[in-house]
Amino acid sequence: MLRNTKIAAVSALALSAVLSGGVIAQTATTTATTTTEPAATTAAPVATEAPATTAAPETTTAAPTTTEATTTAPAATDATTTAPAATTEAPAATTTEAPAATTEAPAATTEAPAATTTEAPATTTEAPAATTTEAAPATTEAPATTSAADHAAAPAEAPAAAAHGAPEIEDVAFSFEGPFGKFDEHQLQRGLQVYTEVCAACHGLKFVPIRSLSDEGGPRLPEDQVRAYAKNFTVTDKDTGEDRPAEPKDNFPRSGMENAPDLSLMAKARAGFHGPMGLGINQIVKGMGGPEYIVAILSGYTGETKDEAGTTYYQNHAFSTGWIAMPPPLSDGQVTFADGSPNDVKHMAEDVATFLMWTAEPHMMARKQAGFLGVLFLGLLTVLLYLSNKRLWAPHKGKH
Amino acid sequence: MSGIPHDHYEPKSGFEKWLHQRLPLVSLVYDTLMIPTPKNLNWWWIWGIVLAFCLVLQIVTGIVLVMHYTPHVSLAFASVEHIMRDVNGGHMLRYLHANGASLFFFAVYIHIFRGLFYGSYKAPREVTWIIGMLIYLAMMATAFMGYVLPWGQMSFWGATVITGLFGAIPGIGEPIQTWLLGGPAVDNATLNRFFSLHYLLPFVIAALVAVHIWAFHTTGNNNPTGVEVRRTSKAEADKDTLPFWPYFVVKDLFALGLVLVVFFAVVGFMPNYLGHPDNYIEANPLATPAHIVPEWYFLPFYAILRAFTADVWVVMFANWITFGIVDAKFFGVLAMFGAIAVMALAPWLDTSRVRSGRFRPMFKWWFLLLVIDFVVLMWVGAQTPTDVTSWISIIASAYWFAYFLVILPLLGVIEKPLMQPATIEDDFNAHYGAKSHAAE
Repeated sequence: MLRNTKIAAVSALALSAVLSGGVIAQTATTTATTTTEPAATTAAPVATEAPATTAAPETTTAAPTTTEATTTAPAATDATTTAPAATTEAPAATTTEAPAATTEAPAATTEAPAATTTEAPATTTEAPAATTTEAAPATTEAPATTSAADHAAAPAEAPAAAAHGAPEIEDVAFSFEGPFGKFDEHQLQRGLQVYTEVCAACHGLKFVPIRSLSDEGGPRLPEDQVRAYAKNFTVTDKDTGEDRPAEPKDNFPRSGMENAPDLSLMAKARAGFHGPMGLGINQIVKGMGGPEYIVAILSGYTGETKDEAGTTYYQNHAFSTGWIAMPPPLSDGQVTFADGSPNDVKHMAEDVATFLMWTAEPHMMARKQAGFLGVLFLGLLTVLLYLSNKRLWAPHKGKH
Repeated sequence: MSGIPHDHYEPKSGFEKWLHQRLPLVSLVYDTLMIPTPKNLNWWWIWGIVLAFCLVLQIVTGIVLVMHYTPHVSLAFASVEHIMRDVNGGHMLRYLHANGASLFFFAVYIHIFRGLFYGSYKAPREVTWIIGMLIYLAMMATAFMGYVLPWGQMSFWGATVITGLFGAIPGIGEPIQTWLLGGPAVDNATLNRFFSLHYLLPFVIAALVAVHIWAFHTTGNNNPTGVEVRRTSKAEADKDTLPFWPYFVVKDLFALGLVLVVFFAVVGFMPNYLGHPDNYIEANPLATPAHIVPEWYFLPFYAILRAFTADVWVVMFANWITFGIVDAKFFGVLAMFGAIAVMALAPWLDTSRVRSGRFRPMFKWWFLLLVIDFVVLMWVGAQTPTDVTSWISIIASAYWFAYFLVILPLLGVIEKPLMQPATIEDDFNAHYGAKSHAAE
């Protein structure tokens, strides 16, 4: 709780820094995390602290009663939408330090990836950093950004999700599925490239150590490449408190944009498949569907938009409410792969979904192998025990 | 240990005699392992071993996990990810522990329903049954608090909802809730005490398990016929029983091996199937998940909790008769705990003198309905409430209570039981179509 209420407090700062590709935002949020004082109460913190973030507060207080995502979302998104305006025009209005960094930084982020992944030069430039500023992908997903006030409210609340009709998510035949499925190294590398050139502008991977890019069962970049790649991110050194280029031992940065969810665990944090009838059979057959959900979101835009409370929403059939605040992040041919792999939206979406499955479950290969060995040896042991048991009991069952 | 006549441990070597006079430890182990066990036990009797294995698995994996876990609201979630990414074999440890809880409950439910069908709760095994219920309660508390530790969205909101149940107690509810949480809402204090208790309770369970085993070793095992082992002479007892070691140890280990094959397949190939995706989102007190559901093993009782809404006549009546003290929420809480309480009272609610459901023609069907009822409750507990599911949960909850409070007492009076075999030996030989060679 304390972390999140603090975030509200820092959001003014963080939001103005959003454009800076995560650097300042990261420092901001890290300082927020370290505070330990429990902010106990329920809705209050938001209301009291939010005024710093301009428009947000009134809508926040209105939120608790509503159940629909669409209606509550503005509370959170408002903050973000107003902020960019502030940052571009008059940064001083919100915070003190941001301005200089803000203007430069977007360039920095878009450049960085290109330099890193060596293969693919700057084709991306136009899109991600620039567009993302208006959007707040994160908050809209959590259906009810209600305050904690309805704590006590009985479990029966929130029938929201089902009411929207099932989002349209198609099964994708990923290479890593099934007991013997494996990650395709090259696909992981392509996914990394898509993440770096597109997603990284707003979304972080804060739980993923950069060094793990060279791990067994992962993208397996050579160590010198990982070192070079790490330099594209700036982190605050824990000991000195100063900013420095990241090293492989560091983690990927946090989300650069306050409301963009961290993607480290996204492939496990969403269920693509349900039912039928809540029986959980589809999940057995098709898997939980997290990666499929990611593919569906990235390729599920219809092109329709609507404006609501100053925020632009994009129609997306894969999203729970049907309208998402994240603008379409991918367009055909946006990322150029060195190996000439197809780079239409669908393929890029699958590549990045695979990469995100790996960030969510980096030891999946090791786990399946352990599972397989476990099943194999326990199966063997069970056969031996069966024979022992049969022989042991035979005299007593009249079967000499 | 049991009242069944059998050979006792005789110290042979000089050291054994010396030790036996000072501490009869070997004797205790010997008598425990060599207990005469009805030789007609069927495969429903293997879940005790599975449960013992689960307890050990959970304690061992849990102790290692604790070495890498940090119980603090701003660090807990990250420390779990640290376990998943950086700790050698950490991802397996965590998945074994998380799915181990599911196996534990899967086994305990079969174990309980086995007891319900074969009348294992009936005299003289009431104490074994009551201890078992206490173990089950302790397991639920442990599992609930363990689920809070990763500090994901479901951890947080699950904790908020469940501790909120105590807040439903009229008058003293809110102070109790605050006392349990260590503050007005689920926060760091809550996480810390849940962590402490999650570590403590398994050892309480281990102690209760020892008493559970002690109790049924005193009375002797029940068996599929419900007919007692003959105890007049050792020769007769030998015809009805075989020693636990090696006969049942090997049989149970075989069954355990089979169960573990499935378990390892789940852990290795679909470890998140039984979990909720929302728990991979760090706890956020400001964002309520769309649909708060507990782990699958709590669903039947969660369904009963939710079933009794304010528009149910029983609730309205309770509300009226208590002058508004018992509202819908408190009624739901009472119903949930009551559902377990009536099960614990089964030994005194069941009036039939016949133990095993095998010889109770009417009981069989009502029991089958109870099993289906349990599955339906589990299903409905996970659904978002609609008019249809509300009706289903009310009917299913009502049947749960009716089974214990009405059907069990009535059946004993109106049912005409079938002929039971005279001895366990008869049953065993009838099954295997041969005369017993063991006794010859």
